[in-house]
Amino acid sequence: MVNLNKVPPRHRKQYYLALGLEGSANKLGVGIIKHPLLPQHADSDLSHHCELQILANIRDTYVTPPGEGFLPRDTARHHRNWAVRLVKKALQEAGIKDPTDLDTICFTQGPGMGAPLHSVVVMARTLSLLWDVPLVGVNHCVGHIEMGREITKAENPVVLYVSGGNTQVIAYSENRYRIFGETLDIAIGNCLDRFARTLKIPNEPSPGYNIEQLALKCTNKDQLVELPYTVKGMDLSMSGILGYVDSLAKDLFNKNTKNKLLFDPQTGQQLVTVADLCYSLQENLFAMLVEITERAMAHVNSNQVLIVGGVGCNVRLQEMMASMCRDRSNGQVHATDERFCIDNGVMIAQAGLLQYRMGDAVQDIADTVVTQKFRTDEVYVAWRE
Amino acid sequence: MLSYSIPQFDSFDIHATLFTDVENMKALLAQVAVLPFAMIDASTILSLEQLFCAVYKALIESKYNRLRTKNLNSECILSLSPTSNIAEAFRRFGIKEDTKNIVCLMVVEKSEQNVLEGVFKEQIEGREEELSDENLKATVSWDAIKKVSENNL
Amino acid sequence: MSGQILEAVSIYLTPNIPIEPISQGAEAVVFTTSVHPYEPKQESSETSNKYILKYRPPKKYRHPSIDKALTKHRTLSESRILAKLSQLPGLNVPKLIACDVYNGCIWIEFLGEELPNGNGFSSLKNFLWMSASDPHNKCVETVLEKVGRQIGLLHWNEYCHGDLTTSNVVLQQSDGVWEPYLIDFGLGSATTFVEDKGVDLYVLERAVDSTHSRYAVTYNEWLMRGYKAVYHEQSKKGENRLREVLKRFEEVRLRGRKRSMIG
Repeated sequence: MVNLNKVPPRHRKQYYLALGLEGSANKLGVGIIKHPLLPQHADSDLSHHCELQILANIRDTYVTPPGEGFLPRDTARHHRNWAVRLVKKALQEAGIKDPTDLDTICFTQGPGMGAPLHSVVVMARTLSLLWDVPLVGVNHCVGHIEMGREITKAENPVVLYVSGGNTQVIAYSENRYRIFGETLDIAIGNCLDRFARTLKIPNEPSPGYNIEQLALKCTNKDQLVELPYTVKGMDLSMSGILGYVDSLAKDLFNKNTKNKLLFDPQTGQQLVTVADLCYSLQENLFAMLVEITERAMAHVNSNQVLIVGGVGCNVRLQEMMASMCRDRSNGQVHATDERFCIDNGVMIAQAGLLQYRMGDAVQDIADTVVTQKFRTDEVYVAWRE
Repeated sequence: MLSYSIPQFDSFDIHATLFTDVENMKALLAQVAVLPFAMIDASTILSLEQLFCAVYKALIESKYNRLRTKNLNSECILSLSPTSNIAEAFRRFGIKEDTKNIVCLMVVEKSEQNVLEGVFKEQIEGREEELSDENLKATVSWDAIKKVSENNL
Repeated sequence: MSGQILEAVSIYLTPNIPIEPISQGAEAVVFTTSVHPYEPKQESSETSNKYILKYRPPKKYRHPSIDKALTKHRTLSESRILAKLSQLPGLNVPKLIACDVYNGCIWIEFLGEELPNGNGFSSLKNFLWMSASDPHNKCVETVLEKVGRQIGLLHWNEYCHGDLTTSNVVLQQSDGVWEPYLIDFGLGSATTFVEDKGVDLYVLERAVDSTHSRYAVTYNEWLMRGYKAVYHEQSKKGENRLREVLKRFEEVRLRGRKRSMIG
């Protein structure tokens, strides 16, 4: 049993308030949440039933022109430019007049891009000193997991965490979120983003979303373009697939009729469209993801899956996961929509507040250094049994 | 003559037998393509299991319409071979001019019950013997086995 | 297990081949049967034969063409590894009997027996659990050393298992002595990478830690003693390679991340 009420709310409130600041990639998110102080949390295993109330959840995304990715320096500048405005707006939306009422300010300590992370932590430190509110450094991945658990009420799922920077299959055991399988090179979101760049399709609202929409337009679903399938045990590798599909796309654009996969060798007629490539890429990558998730489920004897991270919004991925679960007894899939899937401040607040309630706030500002590499299994998960 | 069927493919009958000291090899060679059964050089056959296994493999391929030769009998010869080269398989396991002993093998659908008891005997001038592991031991040639199985034991 | 899978296999095999499911993993379902796939029925079957049938059911979530290609590729590669391994002198693996790569079926020899006093099937796991009351028995030590030797032989010949656990080792008595057999090469591969061997050893160590926690240190020691012996017997070259593997094993352990929760 766990006592989530170890640290009482400040100022004798009957609830906790937390501000979450997220900026590990190209999204700056600010969220404010409230947990009521409830007696059942004093002795139970209910960290996924906090009765979370979201008071504010706002986000601003740094969007680059088609064909370009976001650079750390520019992204950091974007975050610095918007941080104050977003926090002010969030406080206003949440109806918080006195910010010293906050119990804690939570920020992403890693993993992510160094410069943007740094912009955000400077903001967090400033606010903490200004209002005299304790800080909590949060692991970005744990933020996703805790948000997913609270929203879906999935108690002990195998977590597939798929985003621009991460691809991991995670399961909980003995106070750690342990990584079962992960990418050996680039992340799934990164793979999709970079392919979108090759195709020069817009980065608005997100490159992955636009690939998903293009894939829907594939008219030739029976004729899959064959791509490498690179699952290695419970891990996977995606850089080879990206390189290959990129070269196909380039041949397509350059009308390289020598490529027999894309053009009829006799007539020179084009056989494959960009939509077909998107469809094939998705089918291939997602099949790999679902497979390693199923492996992990069999290993830990679990029948629940929780999909988190930006790529988790993809409807096709959710469908495939659901199909896999149907073939396992009592299998269930939990996924959230773009409000929570895509990086946001609320998830940082949620994980951070759980950490805070267990008495794990930053004591010394020197401990708030952000880090680009921060493994999910480094965090001691005190709030679960 | 040995006759049996494979549990998973019980709509087929398999008949096989062994002839030793065959004398009309020339005539047989000319008819390889038309005779309704496969003729295998017995020096390349080590055991019944080797034969049964090849038959099973041929039936599997046929189940998925993936026969690479023109019928089940010839497919059995291909299935004996460690390579997928058809010509090579026949060169290795098929009968040659200097072949003395022959294993005859025929896979037929059960409905074609008109298989004559003497279908092998009619064609082959030799001494029919019981197809058994024991008799195969007498006709096998280890040199041939080494050659056809690409095994450097 | 999903009834659909059972039904699909039963239809495929026809009523002539009755099957008994024994386990289901993420990728494959395993059955036993008394019918040999291609040998003529022994009418005078005084001894009841037993065979293992491993079936990879189609996965509906993935595109049919991906599914077909994968099933074929994996069934083929597992069969090939088994066939190759059974030719290596000294290595104990089940004999491959038949395979249908298009339908993801592999037939292999059945190994193992029932342990005395209702201790279940003779996997290494059950054997160690059975022996838990007398863990320092010479017999346990000998068995674990032999298991270590098997893994050493496998690695020495440049193969990896990919999923070493105490349930993937089966014991069988020959002349009253337990002999270990490695089974389930679904994740196996021929590999010259030291990394793969290091991970193999690490996975095994974790498996022993989690399933036999109380005596894990001793058990792992005995396993490694057998493993090293294989390399020691190969003179200088063996020593050098052993050193590399052990060094990498240590590194993998320090990384301490991969598959850190074998259940």
